[in-house]
Amino acid sequence: MKTLTYGEAIREALFEEMASDDRVLVFGEDVAGYGGLDGVTQGLQKKFGTERVFDTPISESGFAGMAVGAALMGMRPVAEMQFSGLLTVPLDQIVNSAAKARYVHDGAMSCPLVIRSVTYPAGNAYMGQSLEAWVAHVPGLKVVTPSTPIDAKGLLLTSIRDPDPVVFFEHKSLYSNEGLVPEEAYSIPIGEASLARTGSDVTIVAWLNMVPAALDAAKELALEGIDLEVIDLRTLIPLDEEAITRSVSKTGRLVIAQEAVTRAGFGAEVIAVVANSDVVHHLKAPVERVGNPGVPIPHSDRLNNHIIPSKDDLIAGVRAVLSS
Amino acid sequence: MTQLMPKDLREMYRLMLMSRIYTDRALQLFNEGRLPTGLHPSAGQEAIGVGACYGLRREDWVIPSLRTTECFWTRGVTMQQMMDAMYGNKDSVNRGKESFHHSGYPSLGILAGTAIVAAHIPVAVGAAKAMQLKGTDNVMLCFFGDGAAARGDFHEGLNLAAVHKAPVVFICENNLHFQTAPASVEMAITDIADRAAGYGFPGVIVDGQDVLAVHETTQEAISRARQGKGPTLIEAKTYRFRRHYPILAETRPVEEIAEWSKRDPVTILGDYLLANAHMNVSEKQELETSIIIELDSVVTRAEAKQAADKSAASSTVYAEEES
Repeated sequence: MKTLTYGEAIREALFEEMASDDRVLVFGEDVAGYGGLDGVTQGLQKKFGTERVFDTPISESGFAGMAVGAALMGMRPVAEMQFSGLLTVPLDQIVNSAAKARYVHDGAMSCPLVIRSVTYPAGNAYMGQSLEAWVAHVPGLKVVTPSTPIDAKGLLLTSIRDPDPVVFFEHKSLYSNEGLVPEEAYSIPIGEASLARTGSDVTIVAWLNMVPAALDAAKELALEGIDLEVIDLRTLIPLDEEAITRSVSKTGRLVIAQEAVTRAGFGAEVIAVVANSDVVHHLKAPVERVGNPGVPIPHSDRLNNHIIPSKDDLIAGVRAVLSS
Repeated sequence: MTQLMPKDLREMYRLMLMSRIYTDRALQLFNEGRLPTGLHPSAGQEAIGVGACYGLRREDWVIPSLRTTECFWTRGVTMQQMMDAMYGNKDSVNRGKESFHHSGYPSLGILAGTAIVAAHIPVAVGAAKAMQLKGTDNVMLCFFGDGAAARGDFHEGLNLAAVHKAPVVFICENNLHFQTAPASVEMAITDIADRAAGYGFPGVIVDGQDVLAVHETTQEAISRARQGKGPTLIEAKTYRFRRHYPILAETRPVEEIAEWSKRDPVTILGDYLLANAHMNVSEKQELETSIIIELDSVVTRAEAKQAADKSAASSTVYAEEES
């Protein structure tokens, strides 16, 4: 094993897959010459050339459409949306051109592309949006949300190799987090959650940066003898329903941790999984959703820290499900 | 450029005439309540798809607009395949999952566009980019109407094509009206071809009623694309001879319709063939009769076929679910 940051792990996946498969292309705003705003794509153009790694104009719909066309012709494009709030712009290409391509061709065509979408709930009301629920709603798309370096690399490799379009969410606040990553080749299947922490009292279901927040909350609550189980979904679509029901059947208490707006967010789907299964009878308390209360992301950090869910909000959520 | 021989001209005429007869029969079936899908009739615009697609290589690709039925015929789709697609039959191209005009026939080099007007323009650019990366000199023909030229995807797609010198030919069928409104509400210029200059590649205007002119102009653009010189925007001035969609009322001036009907692309090519003795009157009549007879049996067969079963509806959403 070796130690890599989350950002380095993603870069390593891109390097490895570009080296082993010359159909893989990387493009987006600032990804080539500059190497990505966070350095994630640094060195790719130098190593693989201007044909396979290129900067695009500010044309998110245009280059997402290009990714679709290239994918339909057998390439494996990886296009970057440098802020997840930007997903609103190419949404038609992702939701219609990419997601429906296989279906309308009745299986005769594949659209194997990856949209890397960098989540960062700060800066402003536009770029800072967490929009994973928007794409999770669309048949034909897969949605991947890793929280650790090992998962980020393993899942990006799988996403690039996947025959269907994948929206791959990364989180800016995770880029510098370190973790152990195997030296040898490996990959992680799409659609399997991981048990980030085993516990018996309360289940927290989280993804992206809310996983480390949940683990921090667990560490703090352990001092009081409260034992949290943390499920890292890793993939929203397809959803590992069994991982959720297995844990809730054990703990009987569920907290959803999401950075996105709670209303009609992905956590609602997680709750529906529980409500639709026999596990619902194991619930000892109403489910808590911790997330954005339903406001745009304010620009100032002094304001947005009231909106963006934190470890303390999660602890409050856990206390709520334990009190009833 | 391959010189067109008399047999090529006769084949182009057959395709255009077949398209006209087929379209009007489909409209009739729709109006009688027999055809379960509406259509955006191409009548009046047959020269564009036939002229542009005629002589393409099998490895080239096209993405038709919602009205370029001629792309399908010229690339080898049969009337039976088309009618089966319109009826959503079990053995049709996508078993009823998408309308005939948004259907793809990958084995014939036809990609399906989406119902979002102009969204397929950047898709065509990406496909062309892939052909370029593979080291081929194949090309992509991307068809759209004047309405599409108002959307951002048109502008982003053309700009990206220019930056990448993508081997794509943009073919705008400007029929002077988008849906129910005249061109004056969608642009303050007369010629969409002028926009190409803003992206740094040639924009060419061609008489969309003249199949030979369309063919020649497209061949020049294809040749440029194959040589790595990048895209061309062709604006074919044309007119649709039917309403935008059968259930919508006619909104265009009667004088304008009458004036354009004098320039029927099928008649223009038919007269040319007769005048140059490439076809005689009885051959012309026989051709028309044979198309009508074939179409009669196509309709009979299409109406007798079964729809796809329930399992088809939920198949092929993802790769694992292919049936």
